[in-house]
Amino acid sequence: MESGDESAMEKQRVHVRPATLHDSSPATLHLLPCEVLANRFAPVGRFFTPAIRQGADGLHVSFRGRSLRGEEVSVPPGLTGYVMVTEKREGLIGKQDFRGSENNGEEAQEPLERGFDQFIGATGSFSCFTVWGLETVPGPEAKVWGALTWPTLAAAVCGPPAVHSRGDSCCRFTHRCPRTENQRASS
Amino acid sequence: MDLSELEKDNTGRSRLSSPVPAVCREEPCVLGVDEAGRGPVLGPMVYAICYCPESRLADLEALKVADSKTLSESERDRLFAKMEEDQDLVGWALDVLSPNLISTSMLGRVKYNLNSLSHDTATGLIQYALDQGVKVTQVFVDTVGLPEMYQKRLQQRFPEITVMVKAKADALYPVVSAASICAKVARDQAVKSWQFVEKLQDLDADYGSGYPNDPKTKAWLRRHVEPVFGFPQLVRFSWRTAQAILEKEAEGVTWEDSATEEQEGHRRITSYFQSEGPRARAPHRYFQERGLESATAL
Repeated sequence: MESGDESAMEKQRVHVRPATLHDSSPATLHLLPCEVLANRFAPVGRFFTPAIRQGADGLHVSFRGRSLRGEEVSVPPGLTGYVMVTEKREGLIGKQDFRGSENNGEEAQEPLERGFDQFIGATGSFSCFTVWGLETVPGPEAKVWGALTWPTLAAAVCGPPAVHSRGDSCCRFTHRCPRTENQRASS
Repeated sequence: MDLSELEKDNTGRSRLSSPVPAVCREEPCVLGVDEAGRGPVLGPMVYAICYCPESRLADLEALKVADSKTLSESERDRLFAKMEEDQDLVGWALDVLSPNLISTSMLGRVKYNLNSLSHDTATGLIQYALDQGVKVTQVFVDTVGLPEMYQKRLQQRFPEITVMVKAKADALYPVVSAASICAKVARDQAVKSWQFVEKLQDLDADYGSGYPNDPKTKAWLRRHVEPVFGFPQLVRFSWRTAQAILEKEAEGVTWEDSATEEQEGHRRITSYFQSEGPRARAPHRYFQERGLESATAL
């Protein structure tokens, strides 16, 4: 599926640090109905979490003086959410050892290239997160609910997840929500 | 004044009131309405009503209540304490509108301006007195906005009561002066003993009067900007002073309702004549509807 746009984009090969998946601690995530035009750490635990109120009609909070209403969303059964962070590109990537990782096999035997090979590791894991709507609860119409149906559909089309996580099958089609990017900064 | 209810949760609106004096349920009463903390960029706005029997208005005047702005803080506290002593005569009730409530109202998708918020709060308090069984026959209100319009609205809402809305009513009618004292005492105390919702480090409470033109207040705001969250909830985000500081010193934020205006609004006219460059194939509707994008790079 990727091949169509390939010429236009920067080529990358992504390696997951498998150990980080096991070690990651639970993360609290909030998906806001706005975009913060920066990618940086934010004191969520000091400013945001303490201001959340559980009302009779759900969760309330405010951000920058605007009222938000929230609801909990669970990650679909059988899946786990991870907060992934890209490692800085410098370093001795040529000496990385892949034994025991999911990427062993063909990929590991190829030499690593600066600017082409990327490592990502989990800094947190989650099985649910809070979705916030501007003044109204996001509700069943919210995009995020629909987005969560994708893994099931993808699995139905491409076979069980185990197949495509190994690499170059037809379904290496990763998705991210641009907003999650900001959230990651603030979590 | 016991503000413990407010201190428990100061993110919304809280109502405090004295017991209703028995005589106020039997005799015709006058009721005054006034507010404190309308202008400041920090802290709550407080609306207060004060009432007493018409026949005992002289007793209230004897306390020498006056417009709260002409009194010192200690004089206001002393007068409020005296009113508390006269609680078989004078009753009061107040609504504390938290800065968070003010911000979220004024910055709502549908803007709820401060005048409407004020009018509705005053109306709510008068209704509250009636619900408590106070025999209100006359209401005096210090105006917000045009007195004629405001008076008309209140008079329509309470046809049984004689309503008088006036500018500077707090200086003209002792019952309004008394309400202004209640409001100001509550506002000062709420600001002084503000329980920050946020877990702040290096917090100082040196915020001056809270008025936007007070250099101390401005300096406090600058010191307490948080690049992502902006300010603590003590600050009214909807005030121009606060927004100006955020524009300069905090990260930009775009909301779904602000973004649509820009996108739909101004497409440059020349854009219709330019040949469109090679465009990425739009993803299938399934992905668009779910906000999913192909992540081709990290």
